[in-house]
Amino acid sequence: MKNKNFVAFILTHGRPNKVLTYNTLRKQGYTGDICLIVDNEDSLQDEYIASFDNVYIFNKKEVSKTFEEADNFEDRRAIVYARNVCFEAAKSLGYRYFIQLDDDYTSFRYRYFNDEYTTKGTVKNLDKYLEIMLDFYKSTNINSIAMAQGGDFIGGASCGLLSNYENLSRKAMNSFICSTDRPYQFIGRINEDVNTYTRKGNLGLLQITIPFIALEQLQTQANTGGMTDIYKMNGTYIKSFYSVMFQPSSVKVKLMGFKNSRLHHSVKWENTVPKIISQKHKKQ
Amino acid sequence: MKQFNLFNESKSDDSNKYTKKIKAPIYEAKNRKPHILELYDRSKTNLLINKIKALDIAEYEKKFLLSAAERFTVINFSKVADYYAHSDKAIQEAMESLALVIVDFDKAIEYGFAKLSEEMTQQYIRENEK
Repeated sequence: MKNKNFVAFILTHGRPNKVLTYNTLRKQGYTGDICLIVDNEDSLQDEYIASFDNVYIFNKKEVSKTFEEADNFEDRRAIVYARNVCFEAAKSLGYRYFIQLDDDYTSFRYRYFNDEYTTKGTVKNLDKYLEIMLDFYKSTNINSIAMAQGGDFIGGASCGLLSNYENLSRKAMNSFICSTDRPYQFIGRINEDVNTYTRKGNLGLLQITIPFIALEQLQTQANTGGMTDIYKMNGTYIKSFYSVMFQPSSVKVKLMGFKNSRLHHSVKWENTVPKIISQKHKKQ
Repeated sequence: MKQFNLFNESKSDDSNKYTKKIKAPIYEAKNRKPHILELYDRSKTNLLINKIKALDIAEYEKKFLLSAAERFTVINFSKVADYYAHSDKAIQEAMESLALVIVDFDKAIEYGFAKLSEEMTQQYIRENEK
């Protein structure tokens, strides 16, 4: 990795033996710095420290005071605290740019090249792709860019992300390239990514998903630890309502899926985020 | 029995290929300036306001609830962008400060995305050359 001002943060909790993302990054050619973000309420924090060179331990309760959790629960088994501490962690460790990643990535795959959807193979030199993405990020005023996720391509070539990129690129989840000089906070104890791209997106926060490569994860709730416990306890019912609370004019909850239907958030993009418009329209 | 195609449509091997070029997510403003009433829908907001006004509560509480009711106003951001494109400087500046549009200054996003796309593709080709 050319840029020494860049670090990959892996946000993890309760599974020091299953930080899949670490090996996936190395296997696919990422040579830059990696640091694990672990909270002080994790009973396995010593195991993390013993197993990895760089571990940043943060005080979860303290971070909880810095942003809107949107409820009065005390259950902090959620990723939002780690997401929000990354800006401070990067600063204190001397990095300007970072990507925050979950801990359960199994691969980074090619998805859209030469103007075509592809399923062909896994990325070989992740360094290069991250450098290209970082160069793009630095050349704009975008708050954060994200890689696509495998699920974005359900439907193949006619998936939503590719057929409606203007709108669906504004959905940003999971992997976020950020800068300490463009800080923002994720909001809501759970569904924090959706809460943030809808509510804060509505108020002008700019996040964009890049379609070329996608990260693949273990199926939700297949990996023990992490957010699995809180999802198993509440399903997606309560989770989805956080986003409705934050952005009631354009986020709804509806039944999704044919088999084993479940309640899930539904975003009406036309009414959620302001359009990006060319400067040619601006009167001088 | 051999199958034949009644309408002579060729069977495509590329059914899962996507040929549309993905460009930066920049909105193309329409030529028509929409009416201001097309920009937002206050149906639910007004319904809530009427209910709040009918409540027998303190004025300062009403004031808060009335502000909160505004969260239900639905904004059509395509129409807003169209309106912006056909408005004068003062209105445009107000719209920018309310984050009703995001202006791509100096085409940073548009050009940056084109460069990103090109470089990603070149890297992909390099990686997959035999």
